[in-house]
Amino acid sequence: MKKALVTSLLIIAAIPMLIAVAALPRHGALDTPVQTGISAHYLEFGVEEAGAENIVTDVILNYRGFDTEFEVTVIFTSLAAVLALLLGASTAGATLSRPGSGVRPSVVVRFVVRLLAPFTAMFAIYVILNGHVSPGGGFQGGAVLGALFITLTVVLGGARVAGAFPEASRRWLQIAAPLTFAVAGVAGVLLTGFYLGYPTEVGLHWLRTFMIIAIEIGIGVGGAAIIATLFIVMEAE
Amino acid sequence: MLEALWHNLDYAASVVLFLIGLYIVIAKNNLIKKFLGLNIMETAVFSFIVALGVVDGGDAPIMGQGAHPPFTSPVPQALILTGIVVAVSTTALALTLIIRIYQLNGTVEADELREME
Repeated sequence: MKKALVTSLLIIAAIPMLIAVAALPRHGALDTPVQTGISAHYLEFGVEEAGAENIVTDVILNYRGFDTEFEVTVIFTSLAAVLALLLGASTAGATLSRPGSGVRPSVVVRFVVRLLAPFTAMFAIYVILNGHVSPGGGFQGGAVLGALFITLTVVLGGARVAGAFPEASRRWLQIAAPLTFAVAGVAGVLLTGFYLGYPTEVGLHWLRTFMIIAIEIGIGVGGAAIIATLFIVMEAE
Repeated sequence: MLEALWHNLDYAASVVLFLIGLYIVIAKNNLIKKFLGLNIMETAVFSFIVALGVVDGGDAPIMGQGAHPPFTSPVPQALILTGIVVAVSTTALALTLIIRIYQLNGTVEADELREME
C-alpha cells in the first residue's frame, strides 16, 4: 500500500519535470538564453572589467561580490548556530556515552594520512592562490584544506588538530572570510567611492589583482576553519 | 517528445537524480537518511543548472593564452558555487539538530519520534 503510494507520487512528480526538460532548448546549443544573456558580456569584457582571467572568479568576486560576501556570512552564521546548539547543550547532557570513540584507525591509515598531509596542504594553497587564472579559488581550496583537517581529526583526534591553533586565533580564522570582504569593501570605498569597488585604472591593475587574491585567501582560510570546526565540534558529541 | 528528451539527456539525468532524492526523503524513516536524500535533491538541482551553461565543444571560461571560443557560460557555475556553500551550511545545521534530537530522545527514527509525542 505504502509502496504503491510512493511509486505513484514519484511518477506524478516525474511526468511534469520530464515534459519541461524535453521542452527546454537543446543541451549544448549556442543560442540559448543562458549563452546570449549576460554571459556573453562577461566573456567578452570580463578580463578588462573585473581583472581576473578566470571569468567565474570575476563573476563571484566582482560582478556578484555582494552575493558572495553575504554567502560567506551565511556559512559563518551556520557555524555560530551549530556552536550555540552543541556547546550550550553539552554541559547539560554530557553523560551520554560515545560509541566508537575508542576505535583508532589502523597504522597504515595513520601513516598514509600523515605522509600525504603536507602535499594536500600544498595543493590547497595552490588552488586558493591560482583561483584568478586557473580553475579553483577560495571556496575550492578551502574545501580541500578543510578536508585535510577532517582526515587529520579522524587520525589524530580533534583536540590535537584544534590545539595546533592558539585559542585566540581560532575565532579570527573562523570569521576570516566575512572580515576580508569587509576590509576589501572599505578599501574599495577609499579607492573608488563604491563599496567593494575595484580600481580599474591601468596603473592600478596590480592592486586589483592583489585585492582579488586577498579575498580568495580570506575565503579559503575562513572556509577551511569553519569546515574543520564544524567537524571537530560534531565529532566530539 | 522522446527525441527532445534524448537531446536533453543531461537534464533528464538530473530529473532522475532528483527523484531518487525525493524517494529517499519520503520513504526512509531515519532522519539522517532523509537528509541525505535532501542533499541528493540539491545535487540534482546543481547538476541541472550547471548543465544549462554547457556548450558543445566549449572550453572552460578561463581567458589567457590558448583560450578559444566557444566558452561555457560562467554564470551558472558562479551561482552554483554559492548554492553549494549554502547547502553545506544547511547540512551542518540539520546534522546538529539531528545530534540534539538523538541526545534528547535516544533515537533518530521518524516513526519512533512521532510515537513519543
